[in-house]
Amino acid sequence: MLEFKVNGQLRRVDVHPDTPLLWVVREQLGLTGTKFGCGIARCGACTLHVDGSPVRSCSFPVSAAPGHEITTIEGLSNDVSHPLQRAWIAEQVPQCGYCQSGMLMTAAALVRLRPKPTDEEIDFAMTNLCRCGTYPRVRSAIKRATGQAEGRG
Amino acid sequence: MSALARLLSPDSAAEGMSRRVFLFSTAIAGGGFLLGAASRSSGATISGAGAVSPQPGEFPLTPWVRITPDNAVTIVVSQSEIGQGISTTLPAILAGELGADWDAVRLETAPYALAYRNPERQWMFTGNSESCQAFYDLMRQMGAAAREMLTDAAASRWGVSPDACRTEKGFVLHEGSGKRVSFGEVAAEAAKLPVPAKPRLRAAGVPDLVGKPIPRVDIPAKVNGTAQFGIDMQVPGMLLAAIRTAPTLTGKLRSMNREAVAGMPGVRAVVALENGAAVVADTYWQARMALKKLPLEFDPGPNLDLSSSSVLAEYRRALENGPWATPVNEGDVSAGLGRAVKKVTADYESPFLAHATMEPMNCTASVTSDRCEIWAPTQGQELAFFALKQALGLKDDQIQVNRSPYAGGGFGRRLLPDFVVMAALISKAAGKPVKIIWDREEDIRRDWYRPATATRLAAGLDADGNPTALSVRVVSPTILHPVFPSIGEFLRQKGFDPSAMEGMLELIYDFPVRRVDFHLFKTSVPTSVMRTTGYGPNTFALESFVDELAHAAGSDPYRYRRRLLAKNPRALRLLDRAATLSGWKKPVAKGRGRGIAVADAFGSYIAQVIEVAASGPEIRVLRVTSVVDCGRVLDPVIAKSNIECGVIFGLSYCKSEIAFDKGAVVQGNFDGYELPYLAESPELVTEFQPSGEKLGGIGETGPVPVTPALANAIFAATGRRLRSMPLRRNGLRLGFARPPKGRGYA
Repeated sequence: MLEFKVNGQLRRVDVHPDTPLLWVVREQLGLTGTKFGCGIARCGACTLHVDGSPVRSCSFPVSAAPGHEITTIEGLSNDVSHPLQRAWIAEQVPQCGYCQSGMLMTAAALVRLRPKPTDEEIDFAMTNLCRCGTYPRVRSAIKRATGQAEGRG
Repeated sequence: MSALARLLSPDSAAEGMSRRVFLFSTAIAGGGFLLGAASRSSGATISGAGAVSPQPGEFPLTPWVRITPDNAVTIVVSQSEIGQGISTTLPAILAGELGADWDAVRLETAPYALAYRNPERQWMFTGNSESCQAFYDLMRQMGAAAREMLTDAAASRWGVSPDACRTEKGFVLHEGSGKRVSFGEVAAEAAKLPVPAKPRLRAAGVPDLVGKPIPRVDIPAKVNGTAQFGIDMQVPGMLLAAIRTAPTLTGKLRSMNREAVAGMPGVRAVVALENGAAVVADTYWQARMALKKLPLEFDPGPNLDLSSSSVLAEYRRALENGPWATPVNEGDVSAGLGRAVKKVTADYESPFLAHATMEPMNCTASVTSDRCEIWAPTQGQELAFFALKQALGLKDDQIQVNRSPYAGGGFGRRLLPDFVVMAALISKAAGKPVKIIWDREEDIRRDWYRPATATRLAAGLDADGNPTALSVRVVSPTILHPVFPSIGEFLRQKGFDPSAMEGMLELIYDFPVRRVDFHLFKTSVPTSVMRTTGYGPNTFALESFVDELAHAAGSDPYRYRRRLLAKNPRALRLLDRAATLSGWKKPVAKGRGRGIAVADAFGSYIAQVIEVAASGPEIRVLRVTSVVDCGRVLDPVIAKSNIECGVIFGLSYCKSEIAFDKGAVVQGNFDGYELPYLAESPELVTEFQPSGEKLGGIGETGPVPVTPALANAIFAATGRRLRSMPLRRNGLRLGFARPPKGRGYA
């Protein structure tokens, strides 16, 4: 039995310790906002926070979770009130939306470290893949959320 | 209208009707059944046949609109939301025509049913950028029909003329008396009225929801994790399945040792597939762990010598030798080339590409001996329905095809029913509802690829540099056959795939004489529709070639295109605007260059200018300027995002390709099949210049000119002409659009 905090609540799961955290949050905990994309930590669709840092949970064994606080997209806010979520809506960022949970979690970790990220910081931090190509709107939304002038019309 | 749309259109040619019925309603995969409704006239699908069943307390006015007494209006969404925003735009057309309160409208995902077919095709699918084109009138009519029924019911209650009533924000109002009643209060009476066959549309100028930016209905759920994709579907008692198929394309399962995993945690069943195996378990990860331990032996199949170089050699042989079908033969091309003072010939090659939707293929199925129900992230409900019917030997009323509310990208991949049938067969074998989830490797290695093509263009130029003739040869496998199997007969008779010819059958440019030959390339590589279909590779070849002609004529590529577009004011206007907007005439710094391309694709025109900076192997795409004429713009924000996301998608066509070795697909994940990153994304400048012409598609238009505009820009920057994609075939790669500091960039 493994025990760790997810979105502020203590959760217990009885799974094989090698199970990726991604599948534990999706299957055992029913938090399906975190998505499976590649299984090799390349695409970032499964990004969640471990103690506030972005982690690609498809490659993070659940055995490493105890003692840490996990935050998933469902825990970013409970009412779509996180500044990034609001900016994502204002900029109408998502297309298919499948990558956007991970995109938002990566962005949330970025703006915690860099309250006003530069273009270059956004370039290096936002390595999540979006097949639809929402990248320019992702950049705009991060800037909007951090109170920086819009780069594009 | 696109060449494909015209070919498939019922009213374009004498044989159009028979061809349409032939294409969309005859035998699917040799099944030999006819669709009963194939001859129904478009727009007249107000039958209720197979529509969503109303919930208790709901009153259905048409298959598209249901209203409860407490005034909840539900509108059915037939078209698959694969990211394009269709689940906002189409219901908004209906709601505006109805006079509903948009903020209070509920949306519901349609199952497969005749009522929800594309009215122009009589086939339920989402693709070919035609949802708005095909459904616009129907949405208007369905909104108007419901409005008329509600208005008639209210008017009769009040004893007034319905002509003196109107609707607004979910109420019927009587102008003279100021009476008002909610839709819900008269819904029961309205539902008893006959559905008007020819409902009157609102007068022009009455405010509705068309042409305005409407916040997308799907976005709030996509920023808090609650949007339900196929992979998130839950069915009571459901098990999970992991899949492994043969490493080679044509491999088959020879044997496996089920006993090896029988006692593993959670494992409930091991199912043999024709070309692989599935482990069914309580959870997906249990299934994955067991699958890894399952000894599988494969018969590798007949095509072990398939490799990228062997395929390329075959393409090149076909490009020399044919044989050819000749869908276009206008004038004496030999004579035209003969009188030229200069002849230009060039060969172009486009690669095999994978869809790589972010959500891998998955499907949930519940199959018993006499019933099949599936829930899938699908674009191809009708093909899935018939494929299930054939695979399971069930009757029409024993099969229910449901779409998950959202699909993580589509790009044509989800038109195919393979993953749906696989889920059904596994559920049947396991005797339980099962959700299958392909891992990324299965998703990429079991794709139906955008076909590679080889194209040869030859033109003659006169002393002024004007073309005297154009000859085109295209070598491509089929695109349409897997999604419209009944086109097989057409392919055999005519020898060309109309989708693979898109962008070559009709040109925006004026060539005095012209011939197009097509060779239907046979390959063991599965190929089918992918965003841009034939327009992608054909526009790459044609627009690169026109650039080469400009160079041969000693002319600026923009000015040269102006010459060839003298008789096409619609294209010329966009070209001029793109040149102005991109600052075409302004000089660029050393190492930089601009490329231009223009296309008529999916019923819309697009002109694009790409500016790059080239530094050694690195190509930084700085800015992409797109000017689009899609007739009219239904929603400016959604339309813009379709074009702009399409541009980034187009860059993916320049970045990676699917390769083959020893009969197998080389790439299996995003480490080998690389997609563009945010850092590589250029500044985007996008403008709509609607002409008021017939509504065109926008879902696939954006990426069409990207490959040639980029190749032309690289030529302008470096003097090096790229005649193949992706960039890495040419030793080039994408770089950061904004140069990181301290790395020696200019």
